[in-house]
Amino acid sequence: MKASNAFLDALVAGMLDWGVTDFVYVPSSHSAPVIRGLEAAGVRPIMANREEEAVGVAGGMRLAGAKVAIVMQDNGFGNALTALTTFAQAYHVGFPIYANTRGGLGEYNSMIQSISEPVPALLRAIGIRVETLGVSDPVDVWRLSARAAAELSTMQHRPVVTLFEALHPALEAAL
Amino acid sequence: MNRLDALRVIDRLFAEHLLIVTCGATARELAAISCRPNHLPLLDSMGLTSAVGLGVALSHPGPVGVIDGDGSILMGFSVLPTLACYAPANLTVIVLDNGQHASADGMPSQAAQVDIAGAADGLGLVTVRVDGPDELGSAVSTALTSHGFHLILAKIETGNTAGIPFRLDDPVVMADQFRLAADRLRRSGVAGAAGA
Repeated sequence: MKASNAFLDALVAGMLDWGVTDFVYVPSSHSAPVIRGLEAAGVRPIMANREEEAVGVAGGMRLAGAKVAIVMQDNGFGNALTALTTFAQAYHVGFPIYANTRGGLGEYNSMIQSISEPVPALLRAIGIRVETLGVSDPVDVWRLSARAAAELSTMQHRPVVTLFEALHPALEAAL
Repeated sequence: MNRLDALRVIDRLFAEHLLIVTCGATARELAAISCRPNHLPLLDSMGLTSAVGLGVALSHPGPVGVIDGDGSILMGFSVLPTLACYAPANLTVIVLDNGQHASADGMPSQAAQVDIAGAADGLGLVTVRVDGPDELGSAVSTALTSHGFHLILAKIETGNTAGIPFRLDDPVVMADQFRLAADRLRRSGVAGAAGA
C-alpha cells in the first residue's frame, strides 16, 4: 500500500477502507503513487486511454455492482464532461473520482493551469460535488475524506470528485 | 439487411443477457421491437457504448453484449485498444455499420472510407464480418457459446426506419432496472460464458 508520502498513503488507505474493488485510471506521474499503491494492495487496475473512456468503463462496472473508483488528473475533466453529464449524472451512476491537481506549486508545464484552474467551477456547473485535499489538511483527514467521498458517491448515486494536491514525485524528492 | 432486421436478431439472442445499446435511431428502433430491463440504451452518450459495455463485462459473470454504430465507435475509438488489452471473454461487441451518421442528416461516416474491422483485426481482436441476418445470428450465437471476446461488424443498409417515436424514458429508471436485472442474472447463475 506504500505510496510516495503520508498524504497519498492516506488517500489509498481511505479508498481501501471503503472497500474499493477496482479502479480505472488514466496514467499520470502525479497520481502514479496512488495507482501503484492500489495495485500493491490487490485492487484490480483498468487503464483507459482517455478520461471519458474511464467514465464509461467505471460506470459500466458500477452498474454491474463493482465498488470502482477513477484515478486521473484534473486537466482530463475537459475530455470527460459529456460522459459525466449524459451518462453518469443522467443515469445516476455513482462512483468516486480522485484527481490530482495541476498548475499550482511545483508546476513545470506553462499552459496546464488554463484547464486546471477552472476545473472546480466546471464540475460544480454540471452539478458534480467537489471535495479538496491539500497539504495543509491533516493526514487523517485525507484518509477519512477519501472514504467519505466514495460513500457519498454511492449513496447519492452521483460521481463525487476529490481534487488532491500532489507534487510531481521528482520535485518532491528534491525538496 | 436493414437495422431493424439486425436488431431483431440481436434482441432475440440477447433476450436474457445484458446488452448496452448506442444512442439515436438504434436505441429507438430496438425499443420498437422490445424494451427489456436487461437492455440499457445510452440515449445521448455517443461514443461511450463500448466503454460502458467493457465495464459491465469486467464486473458481471455472464454474457454481455454491446450494440454500437460505426459513427459511435469512431467517436470513441480509443476504446478499441482498451478492448484488445482486457478482452473479457464474456463480451460481444456488435457494430452496425451503415457507413453514415443516419441520425445526423445521413452524413457519411469515415467508415465509408476506412475499415473498422481491419483496425480491430490489427489490434488482435477476434473480428467477424457479416452481411445478412442469418450470418449475424450465426456469429452472435458462436460468440455466446465460445469462450472469448468477439467483435462483429455487421454491414446494414443506410437510413433510419420511418415512424419510430423518440425514447422519452427516464434514464434513472432504465439504469435502475438494468442494475436489478444484472443482479438477478448474477444470482440466477445465468452465465453461459465466464467473465474476464
